[in-house]
Amino acid sequence: MIEPNEASLSPAARDGASQRPASGKQAAALAFRNVTFTYPGQERPVLDGVDWEVEQGSFTLLVGSTGSGKSTLLSLAKPEIAPAGERTGEVLVQGIPVEDLGAERSARAVGFVFQNPENQIVCESVWHEMAFGLENLATPRAEMRRLVAETSYFFGMEDWFRADTAELSGGRKQLLALASTLVMQPRLLLLDEPTAQLDPVAEKNFLHALFRVNRELGCTVVVATHAPRAMLDYATCAYRLEEGRIARVENLSDLERRWEPGLGHRGRGESPRPTSEEQPPPSPAPEQTPVGRLIPPAAASRAVEFSRAWFRYGRDDDWVLRNLDLAVGAGSVHALVGGNGCGKSTLLALMAGLHKLQRGSLRRASRSCALLPQDPRALFVAETADDELAEWGAAAGYGEAEASAMLERVGLAGCGPMHPYDLSGGQQQLLALAKLLLVKPRVLLLDEPTKGLDMAARCAVCELLDGVAAEGATVVVATHDLELVEHLADEVSMIFDGEVASTEPTERFFQGNVYYRP
Amino acid sequence: MSARVKHTAFGTSHPAVPAVYLLVTLALTMGAFQPVLIFLSLAGAFSCAVCLRGFGAACASFRWQLPLVLIIAVLNPLFSASGSTELFRLGARAVYLESLCYGCCMGMLFIASVLWLQVAAELLPFDKVMALLGNAAPVLALMVAQCMRLIPRFARQGRTIMDVHAVAMEAARAGAGERDEGSASVALVRRTLPDALRDGLRTSSVLMGWSMENSLETADAMRARGWGEVPCRTTYARYHFTGADAAAIVALFASTSLMALIAIAATVQFSFYPTMTRLVLWWGYVPYALWMALPCMLHAYEVVSFR
Repeated sequence: MIEPNEASLSPAARDGASQRPASGKQAAALAFRNVTFTYPGQERPVLDGVDWEVEQGSFTLLVGSTGSGKSTLLSLAKPEIAPAGERTGEVLVQGIPVEDLGAERSARAVGFVFQNPENQIVCESVWHEMAFGLENLATPRAEMRRLVAETSYFFGMEDWFRADTAELSGGRKQLLALASTLVMQPRLLLLDEPTAQLDPVAEKNFLHALFRVNRELGCTVVVATHAPRAMLDYATCAYRLEEGRIARVENLSDLERRWEPGLGHRGRGESPRPTSEEQPPPSPAPEQTPVGRLIPPAAASRAVEFSRAWFRYGRDDDWVLRNLDLAVGAGSVHALVGGNGCGKSTLLALMAGLHKLQRGSLRRASRSCALLPQDPRALFVAETADDELAEWGAAAGYGEAEASAMLERVGLAGCGPMHPYDLSGGQQQLLALAKLLLVKPRVLLLDEPTKGLDMAARCAVCELLDGVAAEGATVVVATHDLELVEHLADEVSMIFDGEVASTEPTERFFQGNVYYRP
Repeated sequence: MSARVKHTAFGTSHPAVPAVYLLVTLALTMGAFQPVLIFLSLAGAFSCAVCLRGFGAACASFRWQLPLVLIIAVLNPLFSASGSTELFRLGARAVYLESLCYGCCMGMLFIASVLWLQVAAELLPFDKVMALLGNAAPVLALMVAQCMRLIPRFARQGRTIMDVHAVAMEAARAGAGERDEGSASVALVRRTLPDALRDGLRTSSVLMGWSMENSLETADAMRARGWGEVPCRTTYARYHFTGADAAAIVALFASTSLMALIAIAATVQFSFYPTMTRLVLWWGYVPYALWMALPCMLHAYEVVSFR
């Protein structure tokens, strides 16, 4: 493994270091002086007099809910990608105002990693992606080779250096995005929700790599995130952005806060759900959990049932499902958990009737189901949220009144005239859910409904789903979000190696697990 | 666990060398319309395909190629009734031996070209083509690469959009069916052509919005890494152009001129109509055969030298 030393730092970095103020005190890696920023056409500034200094070599978290201006704040440090709008105040990188930095030096001095691994990869192969930034800066060939080699070793990319970028998993794509930024040897690395699209295992891998970049290479890291929990072990300090103002979080463990108490399973006690009598008491001791709950008296009423199911996509592909048995009780909330590519999404597609099993059988009590894909944008076709909800009105037989009632129910009452793409990620998810709920599906199939959402949005989605289940619909949710599972699901199935490794009531599932818990 | 590595002819040389060889070979194959030369090219292409993909896989493509040759061979005499040796008559049309041979040669030429293209795909995979392009026209290369990435992604996203829509429509219909009970629901199930058209338009509009949104982030990611900042980009050369490569290319070009002379000589003295020129043994066939067998020989050398 290479040992980074001063000599291997980029010229830009050394320039930056030499630009220290005469006072002898090292300039902050990133400093905002009374920065106010207003988007064009808006009255209220997103950032309102932000004074912020990021220490050299720190691992800084920037927390705040979606739409609080975290991304805007970060992008102001990189003029090439800064949004249009009116900015006052000063932004300094290594003590130099960003305007004076120039695009080329800014590209070298400040690295930026975006949220979606899919979108930020430009080239067809890993090696080309690694070289992309250096090629842009007309780095001489010999130096380029050395930097690419060095960085690839640092990230342990030798095995997949020649791979096609399209074949990489999401986690590797994001790691590549990090590596291809670091190959330009920035002294300051800004990341905007870098792990929001990753599963928990990939998230830990990525954060570990980021930690090594910070501690071993001494690169200053600033991560904007709404889910800081996984990063607390690595972070040296944290700031919260709220109402356009920034404040230091004095105690990092304050960010430890998990799911807001009192949410999920709320109101289910008095709900008229058919299975409510089988519900365990709110916090049952393990021995009190009714063993027979798995096979309730209404065993006949299964919403979906796979038996001995075998499935693969193509003739020459490997089996995705191998002899899988799974039963989803009618009116229950059933969670599917398991690693990437274990077949969770395939199971949902099969339940939706999109594919046919090669062997075995699938029984569906009702053909009425709705599928929410990972990206809610697959559903958006209209110019406004109102039109969006009206789209299926004729086919499903509902009117404007029901549509606006639904918009209110999902908490988007004021958003009717807005373009779906102008909504935040959480609001988009809720709008997509609203659209699906209007066709009154008996079975609601959800693929990662809380991916990339902040706490408030996650709670809103969870609450909505809870209500849907309380009305008697069956909800099947494939997710990595174990907190959601804990608060929402009645039963959990872990999918592994094409089979259901176990199906258990949620409490028992988490009691038995050593590694797989929220 | 590592997949078995497949070593091919020209595997260690700069992509320009196989590119030159393959371009010349394809040009010779398509340009020299003379039975012996076509046969030599076909033999070379087939042996190379056997080396690269195995006998079974190489023969497997004959399943559709041989019938095609037969069709071409049989159809040609029906359309061009020239020649002097009448074989038989089909209704009012005479079928001539020359015409049949012409068709056979045409079919062989077609198979040889297809086989060479398949060989080209193995000898010169996409990344090598990109490396060749990347040196000459980096922006074009990047555009091609991005398109190659985007097309499967579009297809996947389009699939998702249609799936989600179809599932929801089915739910809507099921709901409507429950309400109306009976004949009305049957009418709802039947999809008309305008419906299909509207769905298609709908899918493409969703796809447009979705990908535009994604491309904004891609553009930012490119700009963040200095795209377009420096007027003259450099390229990360994965393949070095060495003296040996230069020598190989010079040798290839020298042989090309010989091959061209042979091909011209052979085609000029040969004609199908009205009577086929008699084919004779000629020294010129030997270098031509050697050229066509070059990848196969290189492959054999690779195998033997490692034993």
